[in-house]
Amino acid sequence: MSYNVKLDVFEGPLDLLLFFIKRDEINIYDIPIAYITQEYLDYLRMMKELNLHLAGEFILMASLLIRLKVQMLLPRSEDENLEEIEDPRTELVEMLVEYQKYKNACNLLRDLEEKQSKHHWINCSVAEAGFDPDLFLSDVDLMDLALAFKKIIAGMPKPAYYEVKVLKINIGQQTQILRSMFQGRKRLRFSEVMKHMKNRIEVVVTFLAILELIKIQEIQVSQSAIFDDFWISKRSTASEHVNANA
Amino acid sequence: MLTQTHKIVEALLFSAREPLTTAQVELCLEESVALADLVNDLNEYYEEQKSPILIQELAEGYRLVTRSEYDPWVRRLYQERGQMKLSRSALETLSIVAYKQPVTRTDVDAIRGVSTSLKTLLEKNLIRVSGRLDRPGRPLLYATTSYFLEYFGLNSIKDLPNIKELEEIFDKDDGESRDEGDSSEQISLDMRDGLAEEV
Repeated sequence: MSYNVKLDVFEGPLDLLLFFIKRDEINIYDIPIAYITQEYLDYLRMMKELNLHLAGEFILMASLLIRLKVQMLLPRSEDENLEEIEDPRTELVEMLVEYQKYKNACNLLRDLEEKQSKHHWINCSVAEAGFDPDLFLSDVDLMDLALAFKKIIAGMPKPAYYEVKVLKINIGQQTQILRSMFQGRKRLRFSEVMKHMKNRIEVVVTFLAILELIKIQEIQVSQSAIFDDFWISKRSTASEHVNANA
Repeated sequence: MLTQTHKIVEALLFSAREPLTTAQVELCLEESVALADLVNDLNEYYEEQKSPILIQELAEGYRLVTRSEYDPWVRRLYQERGQMKLSRSALETLSIVAYKQPVTRTDVDAIRGVSTSLKTLLEKNLIRVSGRLDRPGRPLLYATTSYFLEYFGLNSIKDLPNIKELEEIFDKDDGESRDEGDSSEQISLDMRDGLAEEV
């Protein structure tokens, strides 16, 4: 079984480095890079063993520390003016000093928050629970309006156009067409009939016309095998019969 | 001795949702007032009466609040709201915005050494977009809001101690090491030492 734990002990690599610096009473302007790198990597290793999630920034700092360590080891030419040589650590030191400042500011805000949270006023009452922040518009700025506009536009129903076509085709008409197709011929292939049809609806209506003609016994259909094309033939006998009756 | 004006101001303070400003009071009284003096008198009166309330100067206005001693009891009234405290990372970000405003997100990230989300702080109305930096990409600039001042019990952003003062407040213990001599000179000397040690 594996556990995934996220500990928010250190806010970032700078926070972690400051922790070592404070703990070991290191002079921030003279950081023993080899030592601190070792401490840092040990910590990362421990985090890894505990299966703790490590932010990418921690790894990035590890590579920076190792690079610094290498730079410190590389010999420098002696004739170079000492003042011109920049300490490879300077950048890191500046980052740490800057971060330290805001860590102090952070502590101050924490104290102020604590102090102020002990004061209560009439409007921070329970009645506020039902207060809907969405209806509170006094702090709306251009950005809010832009976002609200974007949201509304995104939520708009897409305009949908439908074309309504009047069917210029009906069964009676198709029946006439079928009849005219026979014109002296005794039988027609179904596929041949369908070849004249321009769209699905015509096919459907023509098919219905065929069924209609079968029903009134004007034609009959026959098929030699299943799924085969079928023949539509005039029921001469039937029509004669009908005629005879008439 | 409290006058009628004091009483009116007290009533206005009692019923105001946002910190009450001089302009608002003058609008209600239809005359100019020295609100700071009136508030002082009221606070003195509350003090004499051992009243559980006082008037705070907040976000360039005034608000009637309970004294912190009564927090344990008043807090129970709001039990369901819980104790909402800002997270460490939110506070860190906020402190950078507060001291360096207007500031871009990239600047905040650079100082913290981690990437930062400003979404929560924007949602909580502690920071706001104050404009854009005139630089390629025109990044958004962030600044604190007047609610920020209210939240931390400040009257104005100038009330925050400066960075130097903060150092004096928070790290008296490791203050000696950094005050020794010129730091740049020290770095170059130390570097030589470091070399000798490593090689």
